[in-house]
Amino acid sequence: MALLEIKNLHASVAGKEILKGVTLALEPGEVHAIMGPNGTGKSTLSNVIAGREGYEVTKGQVLLDGEDVLAMAADERARAGIFLAFQYPVEIPGVTTSAFLKTALNAKRRAAGEKEIDAMEFMKLVKKKTEALGMPYDMIKRALNVGFSGGEKKRAEVLQMTMLEPRVAILDETDSGLDIDALRVVSDGVNSLRAPDRAFLVITHYQRLLDYIVPDHVHVLANGRIAASGGKELALELEAEGYAKYLNAAA
Amino acid sequence: MKPSLITDHPFGEAYAKHLGVAPWRGDLPGPKVEEWRFTPLRSLAKIAFAPASEDVDVDAIPRNVPRIPGAVRLVLVNGVYRQDLSGTGLGKGVEVFQGKVAAKQGSSLVALNAAYAPASLALHVTAAAKKVIHIISIGAAGSQPTAFHPRINVTAEPGSAITLVESHVGLPGETYFSNPVATIAVGEGASVRRYVSVDEDSEAFHLATSLVTVAGGGNYEAFHLGLGGALTRQEIRIALTGENANVRLNGAYALRGASHHDFTTVMDHAMPHCTSSQVFKGVVDGESHGVYQGRIHVARLAQKTDARQEHKALFLSRGPAIDCKPELEIYADDVQCAHGAATGEIDENHMFYLESRGIDPETARALLVEGFLADAVNEISVEAVRDQFVADIGNWLKRRGAQ
Ligand SMILES: Nc1ncnc2c1ncn2[C@@H]1O[C@H](COP(=O)(O)OP(=O)(O)OP(=O)(O)O)[C@@H](O)[C@H]1O
Ligand SMILES: [Mg+2]
Repeated sequence: MALLEIKNLHASVAGKEILKGVTLALEPGEVHAIMGPNGTGKSTLSNVIAGREGYEVTKGQVLLDGEDVLAMAADERARAGIFLAFQYPVEIPGVTTSAFLKTALNAKRRAAGEKEIDAMEFMKLVKKKTEALGMPYDMIKRALNVGFSGGEKKRAEVLQMTMLEPRVAILDETDSGLDIDALRVVSDGVNSLRAPDRAFLVITHYQRLLDYIVPDHVHVLANGRIAASGGKELALELEAEGYAKYLNAAA
Repeated sequence: MKPSLITDHPFGEAYAKHLGVAPWRGDLPGPKVEEWRFTPLRSLAKIAFAPASEDVDVDAIPRNVPRIPGAVRLVLVNGVYRQDLSGTGLGKGVEVFQGKVAAKQGSSLVALNAAYAPASLALHVTAAAKKVIHIISIGAAGSQPTAFHPRINVTAEPGSAITLVESHVGLPGETYFSNPVATIAVGEGASVRRYVSVDEDSEAFHLATSLVTVAGGGNYEAFHLGLGGALTRQEIRIALTGENANVRLNGAYALRGASHHDFTTVMDHAMPHCTSSQVFKGVVDGESHGVYQGRIHVARLAQKTDARQEHKALFLSRGPAIDCKPELEIYADDVQCAHGAATGEIDENHMFYLESRGIDPETARALLVEGFLADAVNEISVEAVRDQFVADIGNWLKRRGAQ
């Protein structure tokens, strides 16, 4: 069984249909990349999977291990193992990154019937993970994402991912805003999580990321549908030729 | 008709007779009195309050009163100092005694307190006090509605320093009305930190007045927390009476049910080169009512004043009401004054972000509320107290979850 299965998914925002029948299956261990023009529905797809309100699913299914994801509340989806690294992470004043991380980690642990992490263990874990991502440890004392630079926000998203160890991670343009070194560090972070029982959906505009995070499959999302699928060479082709042919074909 | 005075109240002859003292001849402020517009006392005046009866027996400090590490506890029960419940070993720098209450005229409630306060709990700070003083005021009504009038007088000599914590709590029983008055005199170059928590019984009345003077070069840092009671008010009047005095006055409130809480502050800049800052934050739920009235007065003489105040409130539901009234009265021309006020609701994008990490909505909301109050609470410079107040707010939020 596929780990994550998206079947003929239709979704609208503010009465406008954005997703017009997306079908996609992520097998355990796989990395899928999605590319596609601006405004074509990539973030919409990730938000619908993560459970953000304001999207109306009019048709289709999303299954995690065969379970109906769309019937779950957002927090349940996360505890079931879905993680979305946001394209635009929000700033939350007053809530420290560390308090947030600890609460999220414990929510996951409780759901799994494990005991809560103690303060020492938590500190050690965060030290290890921040170091691996080249983040100063003190950053977790700051309010969540507040005043973080664009690249720091993206790193913080990946930090959360490596702490929460999801089953399916969706990375929505995690590479945008990263400098060249950070791109490598963040990719290493993602690659370190690659595992036979985990899958990734990597949304990006740049082929460069896929040199670091090598995908098993590349898809083109155009006009609300998967317009083409292929291997990693498809990304190179898109880089060279653009999306015109898919947009025309779909129109 | 909106009378400016409430003359028909339970604090006259009969009340005085119980105590064997001369009666208070004053009246309670009515809704026409500007400072009391948002906090009507009619419901209070209708209750047949009597002084605390002798047979109310409190033999322990309620367990929910926090223990501040390293602090000495001084206990008042219904306004009366209880040596048997209080700690010893004040250490250097401070003396505690029971003083006379000056019948000085002030506002109605201060005069009412002066008429009936048994004695004052007086703190004389002579140097940098070694220990934190934790004053615990317990309301215990027993079988009849009870009113009492705690009086705290703090005199900090020039160059001295002290940290005070005040917890105002109640025991279950009949309605009570606590009418505390604290006078705080911060001497030249002295430093007083004062952290007040009002977490009264949900049926209780609490109308507190703080009268603070800060002399030249003195520092006063205060934080006031309001977590409930039927009708509660913390009125804080601060006069900066010497040059280079600094005041940081902050507060937070969290209300639910039919609770009412009023912060009324008056910051009186009489002299040049002083600073004052105020950050007040409130969270309201249920049918509660929050009030913030902040007046800053800058006298003609008080050049180079820097005075700021800010009030922000967060609505957790549609039911509550907030009244906010900032007032700047500035008579000097070379000053910096700013005030800001805002209300809002919890941001759905914030909620989703937390939920998308597996945090359930209740916990997510609690995190956001604590986060909202944080920039006021974080102003508390004593870590142990800050942690305690954060925990108190956390407990308040848990009570919400339990409802
Ligand atoms: N709340 C909304 N109200 C109206 N339109 C919306 C709303 N949210 C998204 N849209 C529209 O849906 C379309 C798809 O947006 P989406 O963010 O999914 O695109 P995207 O593929 O992620 O683009 P990009 O590459 O620029 O990130 C856009 O046309 C966008 O304007
Ligand atoms: Mg997008």
